[in-house]
Amino acid sequence: MSSLLLMLLPIIIIQFILMIVALIDLVKIPQTNGPKWLWAIVIVFANILGPIIYFIFGRKQV
Amino acid sequence: MSQLLKVSALQKNYGQHEVIKNISFELIQGTATALIGPNGAGKTTILSMLAGLLKPTNGQIQFDGIAGDPRDAIGFLPQYPQFNTWLTASEFLIMAARLSGLTAQTAKEESEKMLQFVGLKDAVNKKIGTFSGGMKQRLGLAQAIIHKPKLLLLDEPVSALDPAGRLDMMNLMKSLQQEMTILYSTHILNDAEQMTDQLLFLKAGKLVEQGSLQDVKAKYEHRQIVVEFKVVEEAAQFVVNSTLSAEQQGNIVILQTDDMQQVIQELAKETFEIRKVEQQSASLEEIFMKVAKL
Amino acid sequence: MIQWRVLLQKEWRDHVRSLKILWIPLVFVLYGVMQPVTLYYMEDIMKAVGNMPEGFDMGIADMTSVEVISSTVGQFHLIVSLIIVLSFMGIISKERKNRTAALLYVRPISFASYYFSKWSGATIVALFSTIIGLLASYYYTVILYNEVEVWRIAALIGTYSLWVLFVVTVTVTASALFSTGVAGTLAILLTYFLQLIDSIIGQFWTVSPWKLGTYAVTWLGSKPDSSDFWLSVVVTVVAIIVLMLVGVFGARKNMENIKI
Repeated sequence: MSSLLLMLLPIIIIQFILMIVALIDLVKIPQTNGPKWLWAIVIVFANILGPIIYFIFGRKQV
Repeated sequence: MSQLLKVSALQKNYGQHEVIKNISFELIQGTATALIGPNGAGKTTILSMLAGLLKPTNGQIQFDGIAGDPRDAIGFLPQYPQFNTWLTASEFLIMAARLSGLTAQTAKEESEKMLQFVGLKDAVNKKIGTFSGGMKQRLGLAQAIIHKPKLLLLDEPVSALDPAGRLDMMNLMKSLQQEMTILYSTHILNDAEQMTDQLLFLKAGKLVEQGSLQDVKAKYEHRQIVVEFKVVEEAAQFVVNSTLSAEQQGNIVILQTDDMQQVIQELAKETFEIRKVEQQSASLEEIFMKVAKL
Repeated sequence: MIQWRVLLQKEWRDHVRSLKILWIPLVFVLYGVMQPVTLYYMEDIMKAVGNMPEGFDMGIADMTSVEVISSTVGQFHLIVSLIIVLSFMGIISKERKNRTAALLYVRPISFASYYFSKWSGATIVALFSTIIGLLASYYYTVILYNEVEVWRIAALIGTYSLWVLFVVTVTVTASALFSTGVAGTLAILLTYFLQLIDSIIGQFWTVSPWKLGTYAVTWLGSKPDSSDFWLSVVVTVVAIIVLMLVGVFGARKNMENIKI
């Protein structure tokens, strides 16, 4: 079971990095498509897809 | 004075819709020309065609003494300049300069000079996304002049600015007048009056009047002299006695003449107390209203 | 050449500052790694969850690297074109609409350097992400299962990269020709959708860009049929070149359609 954890760890870390990076970007970006709090929920609760959907559809930048 | 640009029979249609109708004018090197007209008259369309962004449906735009791609010799500030907000002012300017053929070294030096000139020295390395409207307008001007164009096209350069920003921008434009020929559009006539050698009045895609500021003013001059009396009764008395067609408004009398000599002679017949006698000149605003009715 | 470099620098800054260069590779790595790990530990996971019937054997433990990587690339295939298209569908069309194009097009730029700067920027991000995604997958698979010869993986990555180039080119050209919405829809149809069609009724032909994903995987076992494979490569390369030319032409033609 410990080797399972070792193998899963990188996956969990990458997911975590994606989530954190998306959240930091969400805080820094002046404008998003739709309310920011909604994107925060999407990023945190929609697992891998959350950050992806945010980066593709959430960012609003010229 | 030599001619820089000759526009002849310029026409732009969008489908059946004629946006610009048969316009001709010339720009003399080193002059400033104001393109005046209400919103939707076609000012942006004309400037875009000169800048090479739109192709004319008909007619010709000839640059004299400019060999090669005319875009090298043109600087353009759109009405709503939009920048990639994630670039810094200096990154954007260097890119603009390099795209216009400046070397890396010159582009860097010129971008510093330009940012200093337009008063953005402190914002060199700031992201454009953090800029105010006035700062973006200044950066827009900087990108339009960084490659030392012969012709500078400015689309409503001051209309979105507050009074202080407007004054700054006008001063910047005036200081550029020695170096380049300027064509700018505006619907604010006070601005046009401040800096112009030639006026082009545009209405619904047609040039309805053009000429130097003096010529246009002379053409639409009020032929009237205004006399301001100290006392209302004396004004009334003057109107009764005068041989001129006169109209009284309180202590002010408006005479439909431009013969100042005669007015003074008539006034001298009696011992009126007079505050002011003046030949009234038309403001551009009034001329614009008259022209717009044509 | 100078203009291409200057414009590419702008693209690069865009991809760095919009974090594309970070999140796309991370997502590709995630998808490359998840499949081998899940497959390997499926039984453990099921046992841990505790609803395995007695004596149940999924046969997963007996899988070979080749089977695992094949199944991974299959998963990978589903998201790669989708993410590339969605990330780059506005790469040219967006500039026309948000007025930034006006400040570029007033300068004497060549639309060839303009298009290629867009194409190169997107290609760098997409290829980088693809390659490290597949490498991560390979690394995990080799650790958990048996060895796979390096040249086989190299051939797989090479073949798959050509597919990614095709997807990038379709996307950038669609963006040069149409508005962002139309470009995205068209690019999805031409990559994702046609690849599905090809996998369903594709047995009737052997040469097409949409077969590259399948051919990439066959490098692991035997080798793809040589003439079919190379013909597909040639067809794809030709398609890419033609699409690029159309893209340059389309970007120039749409100059009139910018917002000023």
